[in-house]
Amino acid sequence: MEQINASVVSNEPLTGEYWLLQVDAPSISAALEPGQFVNIRVSGEHGPFLRRPFSVYRVSSDRTRLQVAYKLVGEGCRLMRDTLRPGTTCDLIGPLGTGYDLPAEARTIALVGRGIGIAALPTLADLAASRGITSHAFLSARTRDNIVGTEIFSHHGGMVFLHSDDQPGGVTMVTDHLLAEASKIDFDAIYVCGSNRLIRAADTLARKLNIPAQSAMEQHMACGFGDCHGCVIEVNLDPAGEKKAYREVCHYGPVFNTWEVVNA
Amino acid sequence: MPDLSINIAGIEMKNPLTVGSGTYGHHGNFNQFFPVETMGVLVPKTVRPIEWPGNPPRRVIEVPSGLHSSVGIPSISWEQFEAVDAPRLRDLPVPVIQSVIGRTEVEYAEVVARASALNAFQGLELNLSCPNLKQGGLDFGYDPDAAYKLVKRARQETDLPLVAKLAPDYSSLVSVAQAIEAAGADAVALVNAPRAMCIDIETLKPMIGNGVGALSGPAIKPMAVYMVWTLYRSISLPIFGMGGVANYKDVIEFMAAGAAAVAFGTVSYVDPMALPRALVDLETWLVEKGIDDVKSLIGAAHGSDFQRPAPLKEMKHAV
Repeated sequence: MEQINASVVSNEPLTGEYWLLQVDAPSISAALEPGQFVNIRVSGEHGPFLRRPFSVYRVSSDRTRLQVAYKLVGEGCRLMRDTLRPGTTCDLIGPLGTGYDLPAEARTIALVGRGIGIAALPTLADLAASRGITSHAFLSARTRDNIVGTEIFSHHGGMVFLHSDDQPGGVTMVTDHLLAEASKIDFDAIYVCGSNRLIRAADTLARKLNIPAQSAMEQHMACGFGDCHGCVIEVNLDPAGEKKAYREVCHYGPVFNTWEVVNA
Repeated sequence: MPDLSINIAGIEMKNPLTVGSGTYGHHGNFNQFFPVETMGVLVPKTVRPIEWPGNPPRRVIEVPSGLHSSVGIPSISWEQFEAVDAPRLRDLPVPVIQSVIGRTEVEYAEVVARASALNAFQGLELNLSCPNLKQGGLDFGYDPDAAYKLVKRARQETDLPLVAKLAPDYSSLVSVAQAIEAAGADAVALVNAPRAMCIDIETLKPMIGNGVGALSGPAIKPMAVYMVWTLYRSISLPIFGMGGVANYKDVIEFMAAGAAAVAFGTVSYVDPMALPRALVDLETWLVEKGIDDVKSLIGAAHGSDFQRPAPLKEMKHAV
């Protein structure tokens, strides 16, 4: 983990309300594991005061550059769009947190994402592909053009199921797709990011199949590196949920087992 | 090169920079961004004699030029602190002032005695001003009589220098500080974060999980400078100044107001290299100004004719 001023390579529209920032960050890119995040400082004269945490969308194949997909909401992201131009630098800290655990023996995995949560999954799809693991993606968003990264998941050869809330009625939800495919395919693990409904569905399925399931979580953060103890969520200390505790998302997470976070 | 060293109550600091308790490092991990010995003295997160999970989320909210927070001092058990954290702190190549808090006078005395017995610290900071605990902290920090009794009791439990950390409350600040001096404290630290609140206009409820929280960061700096300036004129004790410190200019400002040492707090969450950069910039500034001893900045805003009050030996009832 380190703080660097990374050269901005590009900063362009991605799809829908999303933009894609690419920076030169060899040391952070080389060390980054899927599910870990970076904390970016964009600041005008009077703020915003805090950094903004982002999951890393993609790392270049030579592991010198990293990409962050961000949605244009709030002052911080608008400043990112307007000030981080090629030739400028981006103040970022990373890699931060604990990422996804991909079991060595896994052969087939399910990636389930919604909205900006999808942005936490391409690095895991890339790692899986590099190990010969097949990943099938179940992706959703409010509108079709806000589903990011479909080409990355399809490029690796797995199936890609899409759902958007603006589709005409009667269209199957991604959780229905997931259940249907799970009856035909032996998934070795499920990875989620994006909504509590998806986390609950993944956890229920994973318990039934007796496979691991993990989810990347979000919480408002101040530092992102464990010092402020501000970003806690309540978690289960046992799968039955009898004992609970607060855990820092930046330090113990952002990736948790789904049994840790369901109904906690 | 200018002399940056400061001695506060016998604690030798190689420079006047330190950190606000709870804003730097966690569980003995103190070198994430720069070597801990860069600073003159380390003040780790407050410890309490009981295990405590801290306050419920949401714990942090960004506000203009600052942070609204209510973390509530989550604490490991004393046994774990003694077994894991204390040995790490003892081995650090920098003096350590351990911050402590209790819920009652008895609990303060107990934690002071226990911390003192660890032989790991060069001083103890009595947190009399945590804005986010339901018991302890401000119960003592707002009340001169309670503060006097508590410091007097703590004084009997240790020979280590005692630093009392105070709340930014105009109505009681001077009387509490005078009571603390009379009770035998060796230094004061101020300001802790003032109490604050943000309300969600959709739910019409407080936004922070605890309801009431604190305000920290650059937003509180001018208030903090004023309070340091006020205490410099009211008591004789050395002052650890803090509250929104972000760079070398802020360090100079606090020292001119009367601080002998200056702490970086919330800014370290955003700009973790702020302290080492300020140290370099401070030295450069002193060279440029031809100032050969940083101690000459202390209280400079009060003018060369100003004399600080004589030490208080008796409780002075200002209220």
